[in-house]
Amino acid sequence: MKKRISDSPRLLIILLLALYGLLTTGVTLWVLHVSLEQSYNLNYEDLEDDLKTIAPYLELRMDQGDKDCFAYLELVSSVQHEEREYSYVVRDKEGEVIAPSFAAGRTLKMKKVKQLDKTGTCWLADVWGDRCFIIIHPFPTRPLELIGVYDYDYIFSDREETAKDFIMVLVLLFLLLLAVSWFWIIPVVERVLERKRLAENELNEARDLQQKAVTTVFPKNSFFDSHAVLRPAREVGGDIYRFGMQDGKFQYVIGDVSDKGTTAALLMFTISSFIHSRTRGEVPVCELMKELNYLICDNSEYEMLCTLFLGHIDPETLKMEYCNAGHTRTMVNGDFLDQDSQLLAGLDRDYPYHTQTVQLHHGDRLLLYTDGVTEARGADRSFFGEKRLQEWMNGLDPAISSEEACQSLLDTLAAFRGNALQNDDIAIIYIKIV
Amino acid sequence: MKTIIEEKNGVVVVSVQGELDTDTSAQFQRDIEPLMERKDTKVEMDLSKLEYMSSKALRILVAFQQAVMRNGGSFSITKVTDTVQEVFDMTGLSASFFRD
Repeated sequence: MKKRISDSPRLLIILLLALYGLLTTGVTLWVLHVSLEQSYNLNYEDLEDDLKTIAPYLELRMDQGDKDCFAYLELVSSVQHEEREYSYVVRDKEGEVIAPSFAAGRTLKMKKVKQLDKTGTCWLADVWGDRCFIIIHPFPTRPLELIGVYDYDYIFSDREETAKDFIMVLVLLFLLLLAVSWFWIIPVVERVLERKRLAENELNEARDLQQKAVTTVFPKNSFFDSHAVLRPAREVGGDIYRFGMQDGKFQYVIGDVSDKGTTAALLMFTISSFIHSRTRGEVPVCELMKELNYLICDNSEYEMLCTLFLGHIDPETLKMEYCNAGHTRTMVNGDFLDQDSQLLAGLDRDYPYHTQTVQLHHGDRLLLYTDGVTEARGADRSFFGEKRLQEWMNGLDPAISSEEACQSLLDTLAAFRGNALQNDDIAIIYIKIV
Repeated sequence: MKTIIEEKNGVVVVSVQGELDTDTSAQFQRDIEPLMERKDTKVEMDLSKLEYMSSKALRILVAFQQAVMRNGGSFSITKVTDTVQEVFDMTGLSASFFRD
């Protein structure tokens, strides 16, 4: 059996929690990013514009002692809009270069992070391995003047503390969820899944039984071309059919047990076996129906009712004898067969079922079906109904095979349903008299 | 689907409205369950607002009828829509439901 992830709740929970972890971490980082920018704006203040103040940030080591001087960044090259290369130049108050050697081989690569209207441009830069904010602004006479440097770590540190606390809470929550899932939710889920598995097994067995109860080899000979389909709905239904040549006659039964599930499937199987063993051409169909009714009443502890339609067709005379116990109306060439209202089976042990007869002709087409066909519902909850069924039959090319006819009806029903689910079992028998 | 149970002059009138299909018939069964235990009850079914009845729901109605009769009561259907009447006719139940 194919292993699905939903079969392993523990793995599923771990995956879900991992997803939760990733999501919350992502959100945390995003919040941090936003708050960092806010923090930057709030904390901004001008640094003293002297080398002493700036030097620690830039790791400047100058020999000039207390001599008044400025550090400037001078544009070396503009690689692209977002990234520029600068080198340090230290000048005195008069603008004379004091330490040009300082710049040699020491360039900054800076990435623009934020534009501040008030102060110029803020950059996030790597200064020899340490990240820091550097504030520069264009100066009319000089290329660029360094006016402030902020330690990135310093600004980040208090946010980092908050983030650490937050992540700690997330981790604790994660562990709590894991513990709750592991010891409480998972066992419950496992029990539910186990029950579902058992129910599915039962369902599959019942479906299997239902499929075994119906005819799967369809008689095609010089007299008849027949085909049938059974489409169970979401549950195992009670639709059944069985037909074939027996004792020189074409005999068929179609029925619908008024329940679903294993019990209904068992009853269907019983009916099917009975028909298979008991159908004899010489027994009138009403007698057969009486026996079947008796059998179903005998199993009355199941409290099941069953609609049944039994028929014999003599291939020589094309006379059809039939007996209907509460079943849907059989159609012959687009017209409904005259069917007396007789009680459905399983209710009255001594019900006096009687046989009806009809003369068929070469080329006639018979359609037997269960109420899953006429009571199929469209998206607007309307029923497919007998009228549409009649229209379908009238529009059908009489030349097509019985198998194609069954498929055509299934397609028509599917088109009618649209997106709506199949609400009941569908069983169809199509018989062409050659 | 809605079931209304009223007692008038010693007659229990059960009105069923809406649709009785596979899904709603379980609810219907729960609604009428208390009545199935009662002795000597006269039950009248008003199905004049029942728009649809699946053949599956028939089983419950028949079981209800049988339980009421078994307990010495009487059961009849007084009003019915054409759609549901067709179901009764097709299944041969009209004779048993409309005995009066």
